[in-house]
Amino acid sequence: MDDHAVLLEGVTRTYGRGATEVAALRQVSVGFRRGSFTAVMGPSGSGKSTLLQCASGLDRPDAGAVRVAGRDITRFGEKELATLRRDQVGVIFQAFNLVPSLTAWQNVILPSRLAGRRPDPSRVRELLRRVGLAGREGHRPAQLSGGQQQRVAIARALFGRPEVLFADEPTGALDRGTGHEVLALLREAVDAFGQTVVMVTHDPEAATRADRVLFLTDGRIVDVLERPSAEQIGMRLGGRR
Amino acid sequence: MTLVLAWSNVRANRTSLAATFVAVLLAVTLVGGSGLVVAGAGTRDELNGVMGLLVLSAVVSGFVSVFVVAGMLSLHVLRQRRTWALLRSVGMTPRQVRRLITAEALVVGVLASAAGCALAVPYAALMSALMRMTGLAPGGIPVGITAVPFVLASVVGVAVTLPAARVAARKAVRVGPLEVLRESAAQRRLLPWPRAVIGVVALAGGGVLLWLIPGLQPKNAAPTALGATMALCVGASALGPVALRMLGLLLGAVAARLDPGAGMLAGSSVVTQPRRAMSAASPVMLTVALACTFLFAVATSDAAAGVTRTGEAAWAAPVLVGSAVVYTVISVLNATAMTMDERADEIRLLRTVGIGPSQLVRMVCWETLIVTTAGTLLGTGIAAASLTALGTALTGEPWFAYSLPQYAGLVAVCAVSGLAGGLVSTRGARRGALLAGSPG
Ligand SMILES: Nc1ncnc2c1ncn2[C@@H]1O[C@H](COP(=O)(O)OP(=O)(O)OP(=O)(O)O)[C@@H](O)[C@H]1O
Ligand SMILES: [Mg+2]
Repeated sequence: MDDHAVLLEGVTRTYGRGATEVAALRQVSVGFRRGSFTAVMGPSGSGKSTLLQCASGLDRPDAGAVRVAGRDITRFGEKELATLRRDQVGVIFQAFNLVPSLTAWQNVILPSRLAGRRPDPSRVRELLRRVGLAGREGHRPAQLSGGQQQRVAIARALFGRPEVLFADEPTGALDRGTGHEVLALLREAVDAFGQTVVMVTHDPEAATRADRVLFLTDGRIVDVLERPSAEQIGMRLGGRR
Repeated sequence: MTLVLAWSNVRANRTSLAATFVAVLLAVTLVGGSGLVVAGAGTRDELNGVMGLLVLSAVVSGFVSVFVVAGMLSLHVLRQRRTWALLRSVGMTPRQVRRLITAEALVVGVLASAAGCALAVPYAALMSALMRMTGLAPGGIPVGITAVPFVLASVVGVAVTLPAARVAARKAVRVGPLEVLRESAAQRRLLPWPRAVIGVVALAGGGVLLWLIPGLQPKNAAPTALGATMALCVGASALGPVALRMLGLLLGAVAARLDPGAGMLAGSSVVTQPRRAMSAASPVMLTVALACTFLFAVATSDAAAGVTRTGEAAWAAPVLVGSAVVYTVISVLNATAMTMDERADEIRLLRTVGIGPSQLVRMVCWETLIVTTAGTLLGTGIAAASLTALGTALTGEPWFAYSLPQYAGLVAVCAVSGLAGGLVSTRGARRGALLAGSPG
């Protein structure tokens, strides 16, 4: 039955308590098919990041189940989560993605190093070149711009070819050209390697590269569009951007 | 408003503040207590013979107190550079930041000094009892309440805390807000020139003392050797980051070899942040250098004079230097806890890319071991230099007496307290919720 790489069942996440209580996700059920590219859109504060964090096992939902490759990761212990993160799931955040003491190169190969594998140097170089960081391999995060840092994180997430890739506004800090290259890389991960990509974005242009767009409002999925055009997305967002 | 900021700042930096408080408190206890013992001994003629040793151990206590408190405080202030930078980027003036830092240091200094003075009395009584037991002062030392030790101790408490905080505050404020926010890592110069000058002068001073010792009277040689060790410690601690970067490369390569993932992370952290690593290595160096010099100087003097101490008497020297060692060992724990606590965000990030719980523990252990080993190597080198000079003065040969079990015990205690500090302070980050405090 299961061609879902990730399946959320009735996921609820509430922050705070009492007067400051915020329901970031309310009973969200959604599946991400193996080898699909999904964009998640919605107003600021609608719960997009929270959705990604729960789906990737970074955060535990208050209720509901998250199945990655059929197994409910909300019941995982630290050790199982660690293996999951280094082998099956790659994440790219909005900020603070890199270990400050490691170079770009070392940051990219970190998960494989942790798994005790020997990374292939030519692939590292190729990947860093594709994200526009050729010649920057030996630089530490402090010597890179915000966008460059994020591209290193993207290279790292792609490097291990995890089954699922979660990216929170991966092109938000990038110029058009680099943004296109990053989207092409994500697309290629899906088309050539059968990986599953879930990407949060505010950019309708970027969302058109996805197979499907989810719209989130107030912690609920309020709409789903299949292979929409930029106009359709723009209309759906209704100028609320 | 400033008060609100100060308070939220205190709450956000609990570990570091607690560590600083403990350091000042114990320093005041140590100095006040040693002062009381010396003052008490001064009232009895029959104690003239051990007076020299007592004064020497009191000087050692004073030295480590100043050294540790100053180091701890600048670590505490520099740790908060990010906060200061943020405050400045929203419009706080450098002066306001300096005032905030000074106010905080003043509160810590005064409270900790008061508590330390209160503890100094029972501590002096304990020392007197120990000295009676080891036969150093068979009649005991009358501990009376005299003003001078308390004044001295409070001076250490407040007069060291305040200027140390001010110096650190000046440094913290001089850095532009952007520079820090960009990333606190790696961008500082390894060795700013005032630090280099202090280091070179102190090392040169120590070198001159070493060169003088062989020509001195045996009576003066031991105190001078101790002085040489102190000077060399100051120098090594100032120039330490350079040494630590090299030792970090070397030891880090070994660790990465034995344990590719965790070892590499530990090594690169020491190499890119040698100053942070040095603040943790400094107390280890101090412990090893001072304790070895004191203990083995006594042993070397005894051996040169043909004296053998047995039974309780063998404990005389360890008892005298014991409290200073306990203090530096606590500061090893303190400093490691502070430097590791700073890494909470990094540890959470490592978890998100899949570092396992046991790998994380190993990373913390490797890093602590690299730092402890570096401190031990520096401290051993310093002690060996001073002791060799002393041995030459006493026997004419470049030789000194030492006890391997005592040395090994000392190093082991440093390593264990470093590991304890590192593991305890990272507990929350290693096990707690992943996204705590990291927005986005
Ligand atoms: N750690 C937290 N504590 C309390 N509330 C939180 C926390 N994280 C998120 N929230 C709240 O949960 C809601 C959803 O936040 P989330 O970060 O998922 O939004 P988002 O859709 O990613 O927004 P953006 O587009 O601005 O990144 C928001 O109302 C936010 O204030
Ligand atoms: Mg978000």
